[in-house]
Amino acid sequence: MCDPKTMRKEAEKRSLDKLDQEMNVKAMQEGVETAWDRLSLQQPQCGFGQLGVCCNNCTMGPCRIDPYGGKPTHGVCGASVDTIVARNLLDDLCVGASAHSDHGREVVEVLQETAEGTAPGYQIVDKEKLYSLAAEYGIQTEGRKQEEIAKDLTVGMLAEYGSIKNRLQLSERAPVPTKEIWKKYGIVPRGIDREIVEALHRIHMGVDADYVNILLHAMRTALADGWGGSMIATECSDILFGTPKPVSSWVNLGTLSTDKINVVLHGHNPLLSEMIVHAAEDPGLKKYAEEKGAKGINLVGMCCTGNELLMRSGIPIAGNVLDQELAIATGAVEAMIVDYQCIYPSIPATAGCYHTKVVTTSKKAKIPGTVYMEFNPENAIDIAKDIIRLAIDNYPNRNADRVRIPGKPMKLMAGFSEEAICTALGGTYKPLIDAIVAGSIKGVVGIVGCNNPRIKHDYGHVTLAKELIKRNILVVETGCAAIACGKAGLLLPEAADLAGDGLKSVCNLLGIPPVLHMGSCVDNSRILVMAAKIANELGVGIGDLPLGGAAPEWYSQKAVSIGTYFVASGVYTVLGIPPKIFGSQNVLSLLADGLKGITNSSFAVEPDPVKAADLLEAEIERKRKALNI
Amino acid sequence: MKTVFVRQELCVGCRHCEIACAIEHSLNKDLFLAIHEKKPSKPRIHIETVDNYQTFPNRCRHCDPAPCMQVCPTGALYRDDITGSVLVNYGRCIGCAVCAMACPFGIIEFQQVYQLDTEREVNAKCDDCIQRQKEGKIPACAEACKTGALEFGDANDLIRTSRTDFTTKLIRSQGTDVTVPTIPEHISAYKAVMEKIASL
Repeated sequence: MCDPKTMRKEAEKRSLDKLDQEMNVKAMQEGVETAWDRLSLQQPQCGFGQLGVCCNNCTMGPCRIDPYGGKPTHGVCGASVDTIVARNLLDDLCVGASAHSDHGREVVEVLQETAEGTAPGYQIVDKEKLYSLAAEYGIQTEGRKQEEIAKDLTVGMLAEYGSIKNRLQLSERAPVPTKEIWKKYGIVPRGIDREIVEALHRIHMGVDADYVNILLHAMRTALADGWGGSMIATECSDILFGTPKPVSSWVNLGTLSTDKINVVLHGHNPLLSEMIVHAAEDPGLKKYAEEKGAKGINLVGMCCTGNELLMRSGIPIAGNVLDQELAIATGAVEAMIVDYQCIYPSIPATAGCYHTKVVTTSKKAKIPGTVYMEFNPENAIDIAKDIIRLAIDNYPNRNADRVRIPGKPMKLMAGFSEEAICTALGGTYKPLIDAIVAGSIKGVVGIVGCNNPRIKHDYGHVTLAKELIKRNILVVETGCAAIACGKAGLLLPEAADLAGDGLKSVCNLLGIPPVLHMGSCVDNSRILVMAAKIANELGVGIGDLPLGGAAPEWYSQKAVSIGTYFVASGVYTVLGIPPKIFGSQNVLSLLADGLKGITNSSFAVEPDPVKAADLLEAEIERKRKALNI
Repeated sequence: MKTVFVRQELCVGCRHCEIACAIEHSLNKDLFLAIHEKKPSKPRIHIETVDNYQTFPNRCRHCDPAPCMQVCPTGALYRDDITGSVLVNYGRCIGCAVCAMACPFGIIEFQQVYQLDTEREVNAKCDDCIQRQKEGKIPACAEACKTGALEFGDANDLIRTSRTDFTTKLIRSQGTDVTVPTIPEHISAYKAVMEKIASL
């Protein structure tokens, strides 16, 4: 592929955003390999794997089942295709739930250390949230120091990871009808790590062979993530760094600077990125940057940690998961600082094509070819300063001739925590409920999830969002999806012009965009809280509300967990990429149909975002009808 | 005549046939040893992909007359009298690659073979697993295929089965209760999703 025209055509096939297309061309011109190239080389991808009918659990295998009904029909142990597919799905879900919950555990531990005074650099910022959570956990607050309260809270939360407490306090926030469903089907989440370990036990050869039983536990494990690990991560991050309020900022690769030190903060946990933000304010470092010839330090986020910083401090965000190689390809990045999750192991190779340094910081997430600077909460600020110094030292190595920043950044509005949305509505959900009952807003859909090179970068998210708002459906977003719509200009009050009249009038009245950025992927728990509050006001279950969920371009195991906890909570969820379940008619039927009789929700698979909008609209109509509105 | 009949709609792109072929034509005929051999054995059957989901196992059709045989200047390509397979005498192959140009299916590739002392690459195309056939076994690719995409047998018999299946499906509506192998609904649903992704 040598000629510019072919490259441009290929770039337009790969990404929706013009700046991303530009960087795709640059990467092709400079011979820099990207995820798209590696996807091509992987073709054909094995159909046994794609259908979920490959079992590679034990050494009697690996086994596969003939998808066409011929032999072999069972694994060596006798596992049927239903068992194999269900176990594989549960396995992926566990990995995803573990990622969220372990992230949450780290935040709780740092809150604990902050209360004990062993994590200088961190402090209790949102006292109000600390107190309200303490009240939920039944912790005395009268006349007590906030540090003592925080210590008790963290102990209460850490106890929910194991088997001592056997209940998750925050799952009590769910409305009674929803909790009744969980009770009836035996899927009330008990412990965050516990459900995962039990799941892994069930996946062991010769344990759970009943696909319904396996999938019910999968739902329970996901609930222990959504109403457990993820929710705890969100709440404790709010305590430590502040609950987000509406904020204005910038998004896309144009947030990189031509004359400042560019530091990309990529990964997930704000424990690291917030400290980098603090450290960058140090006047000494600012001076050092100037000494090296830069006009300052330009911190930009990427992926969920970027979302965390955006939501709380308005730090600009350079891109989502498929942007990580493209950002480096601008030639303008001095350092990409990462902690964990969604970091392509290829980025040291990409960085090696430029002057960029990749810094890994977590004991759990080392990547060969990177600079490892171990981050710990005890020495947070010092380490953060060292990391920035490394970036500044790298600035003179930038080759201006190889730099191309592909355009201007797009403005966006973020910071829509559940609390902020409620405040924007005047302190109560009544205006939103009234609008839904009146029909000016038909319902709410959460568009969440990642990018996947199998679907044109951002196309699924942006197209679906535009379709839904046209149909007067309010859209809330998190993760890479929110970043995608940010790039497309949908996270602005002006975007209400693209919405149907009903939604448009509500947005214009309140001065909000028709698509609300609610945060990072653990912040999907904010959507659960909002749904619970609205359902409680109406005296119904979450499954009765005119809601929908969509993950148009998902790739990760975390998305399996998120999709499952939304469905298990009563929200119909449409996936743009097929999950690895099509090898079993029974599993497929249960998840796409059978669940309707259990949670009044189900999964659907529809890669075309316009058709996905049709499905979501139909579901919202169905629920409206049942509510007589 | 015997052939490996290809049913494309049953191929899932797992590439077991490729691995089985490579192992069968290696020196040690063992997966764990084959991957370390000095002259790595590469498969002689090739899975081609279109749109990231449609796959086709492409191998030598052992044509008669064979275009490759017709153009070979050294007579390196010859036909086995019993099976009718088109085989290569590696020692006579001069690597001119005109056979590859003549092949209508593009299945001829050149590689080093352990049978020759030299480092040069020769026409190492599918040999119909002639050794295995002499031992009463079927070609390695057909044996490895677990979906029925590759089936070894008498060409007319295999064609007849397909023809019967097709005809039966065609006249099913007349009330016949004969069941024929069909693509299960959930697999068709999966293929429809993949087609949609390809068309977006």
